[in-house]
Amino acid sequence: MDPPWEESVGVATVYPAVHHDVALDVELVERHRCGDLQAFDEVYARFAEMVYNLAVRLSGSRDEAADLTQEIFLRIYRHLGSFGGRSTLKTWVFRIAVNHCRDRLSRHVPPMQSIDDGAEEEGVPIADPSRGPEELAVAADEGRRVTEGLARLPQVFREAVVLRDLEGLSYEEIAEVLGVRVGTVRSRIARGREQLRLLLEREL
Amino acid sequence: MNRHIDTEQLSAYLDAELGLAEMRQLEAHCAACAECGVRLAAMRRVVAGLGRVERAAPPPELRQQIRRQVMEEVPARGIRGALAALRLLAFPPGPALRTASAMGLALVVGLFGVNYIFAPDPVPQHPPALGQEVVTVEAGAPLAMLLTTSEVAGREFIWTDSGWVQRGLEWETPAAYVDARSPRGRELLTKYSDLEFLLADGSSVVLRYKLQTVEIRNPSTSRVLGFEAPSRPEGRRHGRMVAA
Repeated sequence: MDPPWEESVGVATVYPAVHHDVALDVELVERHRCGDLQAFDEVYARFAEMVYNLAVRLSGSRDEAADLTQEIFLRIYRHLGSFGGRSTLKTWVFRIAVNHCRDRLSRHVPPMQSIDDGAEEEGVPIADPSRGPEELAVAADEGRRVTEGLARLPQVFREAVVLRDLEGLSYEEIAEVLGVRVGTVRSRIARGREQLRLLLEREL
Repeated sequence: MNRHIDTEQLSAYLDAELGLAEMRQLEAHCAACAECGVRLAAMRRVVAGLGRVERAAPPPELRQQIRRQVMEEVPARGIRGALAALRLLAFPPGPALRTASAMGLALVVGLFGVNYIFAPDPVPQHPPALGQEVVTVEAGAPLAMLLTTSEVAGREFIWTDSGWVQRGLEWETPAAYVDARSPRGRELLTKYSDLEFLLADGSSVVLRYKLQTVEIRNPSTSRVLGFEAPSRPEGRRHGRMVAA
């Protein structure tokens, strides 16, 4: 029989490779500077889902997340022309999003339990057609428990865990977004996951 | 590796963030240590659970709402670009130069500039067709607003005769001066990246940060003016405000 750890080795969470072409970033920004409105539309198409989901997880409310997403994209629109290309557009967008969420949420803390309550009214869950109804139900239940646990994490850990495990950013990208060192990111992700594990185990 | 593996290493291992040698050591340890094996499996379940959190697409109407708001901003944005350049001319670093050039430029802008800045792309001058509505755009009000206020990092900043000041702090003397390139300055700009927009032309920015009134100075401004932070006379900074 395999030792218990065997099934957990082999690891490395793999995310779909999203190639963020720096040349495309630069071109988009240039077009925006020249007044091409289509360029901003493309930025929205590329990042809206990521920004919205980040806002959902950081605010704990779909209503709040929709408002935050709208405000974040307006900021992006206003400042896209000043994007200097020192980071990728993706980390720049995430940085604006995280900073805006922090800023807004520090002034107004919405109720954290409403994510699933409002699921039918706002936002459209992205369904996975490859899973059967039973599997989907189990996954939904697990997802709900993890979501609730995530909402109870301290903000700094939640940000790091969401950026890593839900948005699939690398440690380096997260460090850029949060403006901290990679070592800090590593520590925050580990502590966030550990706290989440304890929260989930306590519930069982 | 006789000691138990720490949480950080387990977590980094799951993200393939360890070196090959460290990974092999960790795997060997987990093979021999049941406790660490169980902890690794538990953390792996958490990561897998996070991967199962349902994602949501933004509400479909959001795109239209944002588009509408952006369209409302389009004329202002063109103006703002021109005004940014004008502001630099009107308010160069240095109080005396600012006052003199602001008065001069305001006169020039008032007399000649506004019509030019706010003019749309050149359009052939034809008399309006029958039934065509003629709309006159009043350009005076937005000019005043855009020159004096700016919302950055969720706060409103007012343009004073010596830089940008967060609304409500106009009469406060900063408790600390921060060089934009110093570690603390970089920390502030990392947190509120949009402040770079205000600092870009060499202006200083006064804001409330961690319950303190702090002034961020652009080092190029300090060099040009040659002033020393502590010797700045109290109350001078906000002696005159451009009308908002």
